[in-house]
Amino acid sequence: MEIFYVFAGITILGLIAYGLQIWAVRATLKEQVIGNRLWVIGKKNYCLSPITYRPSPVFPISILKPLKGLDDNLFDNLASFCTQDYPEYEIIFSLQDYNDPAYKVARKIKDKYPEKNISIIVKKCEDGLNPKVNNLIPAYKASQYDYVLISDSNVMADKDYLKEIVKHMKDPNVGIVSNVIKGVGGSTISSIFENLHLNSFVIGGVCFLNKFLKMPCVIGKSMLLKKSDLEAIGGFTAVKDVLAEDYVIGERIHKMGKKVVLSNHAISNVNEYWGVSKFLNRHTRWGKLRWRIGGIKYISELIGNPVLISLIPILLWEISRTTVSFALFVFISKIIGDLYLGKITHSNSNPMVYLLSPVKDIIIGLIWFVPILSSTVVWRGNRYIIGKDSMLSPYPETRGPQKVARLFGVVVGMWSWRYRIVNAIKTRIA
Amino acid sequence: MLLCDFHIHTKYSDGSVELRKTIDIFGQAGFDAIAITDHVVNGDNSIGKLAHRLKLSVTAKNFDEYMSNVQYEAERAWNKYEMLVIPGVEITKNYIAPEKSAHILIIDIKDFIPACAEYEKIFLEAKKQNALIVACHPHNMSDVSMDTLFLWNNREKYARYIDAWEIANRDDVFNIVSLKKYPYIANSDFHKARHLYSWKTLLNCEKNIDSIKKCIRYNKGVAITLFRN
Repeated sequence: MEIFYVFAGITILGLIAYGLQIWAVRATLKEQVIGNRLWVIGKKNYCLSPITYRPSPVFPISILKPLKGLDDNLFDNLASFCTQDYPEYEIIFSLQDYNDPAYKVARKIKDKYPEKNISIIVKKCEDGLNPKVNNLIPAYKASQYDYVLISDSNVMADKDYLKEIVKHMKDPNVGIVSNVIKGVGGSTISSIFENLHLNSFVIGGVCFLNKFLKMPCVIGKSMLLKKSDLEAIGGFTAVKDVLAEDYVIGERIHKMGKKVVLSNHAISNVNEYWGVSKFLNRHTRWGKLRWRIGGIKYISELIGNPVLISLIPILLWEISRTTVSFALFVFISKIIGDLYLGKITHSNSNPMVYLLSPVKDIIIGLIWFVPILSSTVVWRGNRYIIGKDSMLSPYPETRGPQKVARLFGVVVGMWSWRYRIVNAIKTRIA
Repeated sequence: MLLCDFHIHTKYSDGSVELRKTIDIFGQAGFDAIAITDHVVNGDNSIGKLAHRLKLSVTAKNFDEYMSNVQYEAERAWNKYEMLVIPGVEITKNYIAPEKSAHILIIDIKDFIPACAEYEKIFLEAKKQNALIVACHPHNMSDVSMDTLFLWNNREKYARYIDAWEIANRDDVFNIVSLKKYPYIANSDFHKARHLYSWKTLLNCEKNIDSIKKCIRYNKGVAITLFRN
């Protein structure tokens, strides 16, 4: 019975933390910059007095869009940046290769919006190990304005997006503006899991860190910053070999004494046709990243997964009325919580998908252990070893698993020769 | 070069993605021309009857609705993505023996053609409609149970009607088409979203139906590419 009480206690702690996350998301989404001040909008509107914004002219912005491969909804994602209700901005699509399938989409977008200031840069840059930073370096060099917006290709924004985020930049102490992300779409089970995760764990975690711990937690999907601030921390060169370049940029700007602001203007991450491997790959990669950055704090994520913890007494102790009822209570609480988060973030998900929320939490809970066992990450087709603070180093050629794979390859090769001979005979007869 | 795929199924037959979403998958990926080619299955044997019962076939009854929906989506695709969508069908003659089975794409179809008609009749009707006739997956595929060998085995008789042969279909490559120097194209045989990443055709011609048909028929300026992410 003691085992049950211990895990029930941890589970309740997790549920409380989850409740606080929901509160943090709700509070963040209610904040609005109206005029020169930050307001909390609710039954009783009140002003958060310490934050005052100076009215100033609109800043021209360079939007840097690193492209690599096809994301779900890529055409609409890119198009949404061409229809911004904002007077002056340029969009720079940056690719490493003309054969990248995203190049054709970028060309189509440029042709569709001839009145917009859009440039496409195709340049192989191998300055660092982080492929996204390698893609950003040529775009940054070509950008003409003092404010740069680093924006991932898998996000879609509404037409007020630029107008809303730039409001925060009117405060001269603000160094970086990041955004709340919500997952939308979902035609496959993995996409549904991804969106559920973005709309609960990710949004909850980011808002919680921002509200309660005042920790800068920047998500690279949308980062608006000043060139002078970026250059003061060493520019992209300083983060060319780190996996979590977004987090490191945010942290260094914060250390410089500038504010890191989380805008509540939610941008959409459209995830429609994900396969299982993509989901698993992303979350093991993100897990490894958080493990390497957070260290011992990474354990809090496991405690913050009440669904998984509530199952442990069933596995370690017994399947009894008490343990099963408790787990069911936790499952239902999590479903209701996620449903509420989905409602307040307007993620437009079918309410039935929230029934899958506990399943997703169990999978994520199991993925949690992978970073402790492995330090290898595969990102955009490249394999790396991830070190402290998400520092990348190249994956050595002669590691054990590769030796086995090479041996295995010899055996497979023998069979492929057999296949080729039979196929050649078949073809000639035909 | 136009990036094209002329062999795509939707929920009108055995595809798993709805017509509108299918158009969007290709539009969002930057394609220039596609053909929607749902199955028209022969109903003269038990396999065909089962397909009809499971609503895995376009029929004479719903052909007009199918065509008008494809046309509607074609207009939307052109306005949004500048992507050409051509209506078509895949005449599907399925039998237990692969030597008797054949699948034929009729691209730019105007009127319904029943799949249980004789081959000559199908070809002549398609020619009358000025549609493009493509022999699908004409040789042994990686999935043996899906083989359709009739047209290849009877190529002496039917090759003159066929405008192009699929030299590649999804992951399979049929090098025999190259050896015989037949006109060729490559398609995905799209049924699921992941089939987007497969063999495709590149055409060096203008983006309109007549130029595309001409380019394929004369087989000049045609290339194939393995489209991967």
